[in-house]
Amino acid sequence: MKRQARSRLLLTLICLIFGAMLGFSYQHAKNEASRREWSDSEWKKEYEYRSALLALQKENRSLKQQLVKKQEELAAWEKKLAEEQANEAGLAKEAEQLRMHVGKARVKGKGVAVTLSDSSYIPSEASATDYIVHEQHVWKVVHELLISGAEAVAINGQRISHRSYIVCNGPVIEVDGTQHAAPFVISAIGNPDVLMSALELPGGIVDELVEDHIDVKVEKQGAIVLDPVFAPQP
Amino acid sequence: MWLPLFGLLLGFAIGVLAGWEVPDEYSNYLSIAILAAFDTLIGGWRAHLQRTYDETVFITGFFFNIVLAATLTFLGVHLGVDLYLAAVFAFGVRLFQNIAIIRRLWLAEWAKRRQNREKS
Repeated sequence: MKRQARSRLLLTLICLIFGAMLGFSYQHAKNEASRREWSDSEWKKEYEYRSALLALQKENRSLKQQLVKKQEELAAWEKKLAEEQANEAGLAKEAEQLRMHVGKARVKGKGVAVTLSDSSYIPSEASATDYIVHEQHVWKVVHELLISGAEAVAINGQRISHRSYIVCNGPVIEVDGTQHAAPFVISAIGNPDVLMSALELPGGIVDELVEDHIDVKVEKQGAIVLDPVFAPQP
Repeated sequence: MWLPLFGLLLGFAIGVLAGWEVPDEYSNYLSIAILAAFDTLIGGWRAHLQRTYDETVFITGFFFNIVLAATLTFLGVHLGVDLYLAAVFAFGVRLFQNIAIIRRLWLAEWAKRRQNREKS
């Protein structure tokens, strides 16, 4: 009897342990179930969406990298372009200035006009040559103007370049092959005050010309327009 | 007879209400231990019906099977081989066999009782 009671008690103990395990497991499974209530198809779907998302993100990242690369390239190009344009602008400006200097461009500016006319009074036919304007008078004036800083010079509207020549040709003067008769108007672009005072120095060119019986008229001009050199190059 | 059943219910209540928590990685051990315990209990029942029940075998079997199953699972986890499947298979097969034997014993008893009733 005592033995049976003991075995009954042991059985009860074992049943208690088993029950506790069962209950514990049941509760645990219930907790887990709420976490794992997704079915296979749902998992599959989620997997698909997830991989699609991943692919998109990957693509996005690579596209972004490409964009950054392209932008860098663009910036480099723009910089290069800007530099080239700046260089070109500088070159164009320089070319324009050089063209002005060598007489290949129309120039406009303040300056002076010197008019040389034959003397209005000629005492005798024999000495007539002493009273007319000679080519050396003209080039003296031209030289004086150039030395004083004239930037462009023209005789009777014909532009003088660094290769021009002035020769006496009987009653007329030849400038680069074009004949000019008196009166000669020598226009020069430059600082009018400087040019004027250079010409009118005491004992200077104007006095010299007057001594040679030439009518000299010097006037400042606000706007002189000089055409480029058209004459055929010698 | 009713005391073990009472113990079972009490244990179940304790298990549900105690609110213990096991980490996920140990839930395998719990399920295999339950399987082992269940197998032992059914085995004990069968032995009782066949009148070969031995208390010592039953009690040692109960604990030893649980420990063995847990050890197998532990080993399997650490070796990378799903050894707990072996425990599940072994205990599962034995569980079915035992239940089948119990059913047959019941059938035999039921048939014997009917024969007796017809005789009388």
